Amino acid sequence: MLDTVSAGSAQKTAQLGWTGVVRFLHLAPRAFLPMRAAETITLVAGKGIEGDRYMIGNEEGFYSHKPEEGRQVTLFELETLVALKRDAGIELGPEEHRRNVTVEGVPLNHLVGRRFWLGETLLEATRLSVPCRHIEEITGKAIFDPLINRSGLNCKILQGGTVKVGDTVRNAA
Amino acid sequence: MKVRPITTIKTVVTLIEEAGAGIKLFTLADPDRWELPPFKPGAHIDLHLPNGLVRTYSLCNEPADNARYVVAVKREADGRGGSRALHDEVAIGDVIGVSLPRGGLDPGAGIARHVFIAGGIGVTPFMSMARHLSRTGDADFVLHLVVREEMPLAAHLAPLIDAGRVVVHCTSRTGRPDLAALIGEGGADTLVACCGPEGMTEAFEQAIAAWPAANVHIERFIAPPPVIDPDAKPFTLSLARSGAEIQVRAGQTMLAALQEGGVDIATSCCGGICGACKVGWIEGEPVHRDRILSPYERERYLMVCVAGSDAERLVLDL
Repeated sequence: MLDTVSAGSAQKTAQLGWTGVVRFLHLAPRAFLPMRAAETITLVAGKGIEGDRYMIGNEEGFYSHKPEEGRQVTLFELETLVALKRDAGIELGPEEHRRNVTVEGVPLNHLVGRRFWLGETLLEATRLSVPCRHIEEITGKAIFDPLINRSGLNCKILQGGTVKVGDTVRNAA
Repeated sequence: MKVRPITTIKTVVTLIEEAGAGIKLFTLADPDRWELPPFKPGAHIDLHLPNGLVRTYSLCNEPADNARYVVAVKREADGRGGSRALHDEVAIGDVIGVSLPRGGLDPGAGIARHVFIAGGIGVTPFMSMARHLSRTGDADFVLHLVVREEMPLAAHLAPLIDAGRVVVHCTSRTGRPDLAALIGEGGADTLVACCGPEGMTEAFEQAIAAWPAANVHIERFIAPPPVIDPDAKPFTLSLARSGAEIQVRAGQTMLAALQEGGVDIATSCCGGICGACKVGWIEGEPVHRDRILSPYERERYLMVCVAGSDAERLVLDL
């Protein structure tokens, strides 16, 4: 029963034909360093983002000792930042959540196991991100609990290319 | 090869300056000069020295100067070895891991006037605060620097002395100043802070005995013991497979104790929701605190990142 409902729901999401947009891009070359905003980033298929700490072959991230295919690029919903302010009174900037791509209008939690286009690049979502104490340590903000179940999406890069602020995000199904 | 977790910020030594009175200033920066994690005025960082020692130093530069950490280190010939290692062994280009900055003044705390009392090298946290307050004009301040003879960091303090923001008290000439007189009358919008040797911080504590705690800040050369939950108790972990016994200090996490004991545990969120550090338990009274194990699972497993123990001894399946 649950399988049927899930499959139907995912299909409906695809049918609704959501379209989102890239609002912010961020990266950092090493663990703990502040994320720096970029107008464009370069995604390399099967590896990661040029200059980012989780690029495979140049691992300098806090979690690099735990290799994961889906950490090539991470996404976060702008709507979550709005909700944090609205529901928990916490101001969190797009440079603070430590995911690479902040999108608007993209139902990230529906995309696990699915493929979608991020500008000219093709991604496959592997799992939802989990909040971690590390981010509270870095930001000094109590965001662990409010970010449970809306902490972003981990993806691998199937087709690389350049991603720009303002690019469209759309389903590849 | 197993990749080791990255637990510190990687910095390189970009400048070492002699600053008088046996003091050297070390400038640390990211290898690519990327911005470093932000800090509050008067914050401090731990330096993980090449010889394995970990030492805490105040940041002397101000938060707006965000691509470097500057620490002033006085060589203590009879100290515990950290300052000797920095003075004698560390060179420009060396890589030093540092912690995230901690502590410092809270901006916007409603303070209009600061009175800083520093003893000798204890001036370092106030240099960051003084530079920040001078530049932003956020609040008034005066820094009383008490020295025996030679002034530390004279060249760096000169602009602040010229501006009348630093008053130097030389005890070899004028004796020890009356701290109560320097501090003056308090008010809700005044913050008094002291950093110096033990004798000075004791005299300071007497002088401010009547002040509300929120308006007083004391920084000691030797870190006070960490604040521990008064209800926390130490306990012993007994590892059934390896036969090892590991002590968990009051307030310490089981995870930290296991890692200190050389036990390799997978972790991720460290907040009891991801499940990476699930370990079986065999005997004892665990206090779970995670948010994912079912009551049935809790009869056999716990999450070492958040779990504790109600009994003195807990046997784990490790």
